[in-house]
Amino acid sequence: MSARSLSLLLGKCVPSVKKNAAKVCVTRMELDDNLLMYYRKVSYVYAHDPEAVCKTGDIVLIEELPQKLSRLVTHGVREIVFPLGDVVDPITGQRVSGTRFRSELEEENTLYGEAPERFRYDTAPPRGWQEGKKDFTDKDTYIKYHEIEGDDQPYGV
Amino acid sequence: MKSPVPIKWVRPVKVPCTHPEKSGDLQPLKEIDLSRFPLEFRDSEELKSADDNVKRILSLEFFNRKNTMEALINEYKDSVKRHILDEESPEVRVAVMTAYIRDMQRYLELNPKNKLIKVRLKESIDKRKKLLKNLRTWDYKCFEWILEKLGLIYKPMPPIDVYRRVERKRSLRMLTTKYCEDIVSKKFVEYKEILENQQESFLEEKIKTLEWIMKEEKYCGVNPTVTPSDIEKTKEDLENLKASRSKK
Repeated sequence: MSARSLSLLLGKCVPSVKKNAAKVCVTRMELDDNLLMYYRKVSYVYAHDPEAVCKTGDIVLIEELPQKLSRLVTHGVREIVFPLGDVVDPITGQRVSGTRFRSELEEENTLYGEAPERFRYDTAPPRGWQEGKKDFTDKDTYIKYHEIEGDDQPYGV
Repeated sequence: MKSPVPIKWVRPVKVPCTHPEKSGDLQPLKEIDLSRFPLEFRDSEELKSADDNVKRILSLEFFNRKNTMEALINEYKDSVKRHILDEESPEVRVAVMTAYIRDMQRYLELNPKNKLIKVRLKESIDKRKKLLKNLRTWDYKCFEWILEKLGLIYKPMPPIDVYRRVERKRSLRMLTTKYCEDIVSKKFVEYKEILENQQESFLEEKIKTLEWIMKEEKYCGVNPTVTPSDIEKTKEDLENLKASRSKK
């Protein structure tokens, strides 16, 4: 059974080179008849995303388009379920940071006494302001194999 | 054999893993004023009213490097910590590691043969990278803020299936493929431009032909296949095209 036969899929965004499309990694568990054990199988799907709402690492819900947009782009992005590093707990509806609620952390800060230069969630800009400047996770990095004059190759390692 | 393709491969210079360029440190270690007191005498009331010579002797100038580093690390911690007693948050841990890493990088430049420091430096760079990786998944906004605050760059490692070694033949093949792809895309752009230039004259000709067909059909008394609305639509297209061209 391939991943494309289902109309709604849940997957994780990975760095994509294509414009207007997000690359989504969809995993499914496949039964091995001999061992009677389930094994992880991944397949990659391209989802149409003209406004570039999907960022690397987000968990997104994608659905199959009635008509293929191109040879590769077969799905469309319906909803971002969990944005990476900015997750809302579905039960309480509160934002979390790691394994703790952010309100809990703020309360702790006020109890101990606030540090003047600390990070503040309310004034922080939305995700993506360091993209291509200091944070190079939006595209795949590569091993630098050639020195190009006048180009620092920021994604080369 | 001389290749007909004008490609000259330049092997990239090897940067050691402990170098600031590789570790992602954009700034060197902060400078500290050596006339300051070490941390243990910082809040002393007696020292404030003491003699100038006593003040000088008890300043960082006459203490070990260790005390200077303590004061510096405290400064780094103060710039990121969440509350006044914060010692364990990921931000503080990254800040402390950054201070140590930058100090070791400065030391290693003066003493390049000190292998112990080199190993320790490499280990702490990797640890900090791992911590940043985790912080990114826990709290993305805080991760971006700390990169800006401490002057760091975060680059993930390439995917696991990427070939790691840099070789002459392989690099030349990759460069040749890129050269061919560039030629193809350049030709596509040129051809697109040619077609776009023909659009205007084509529409003008289309209007003329449609008008002629309409006239002939009327003259011969055949059922008309071209309506005036078709001609109007084509004229509208032409105007839109001209408007979009003049905007550019």
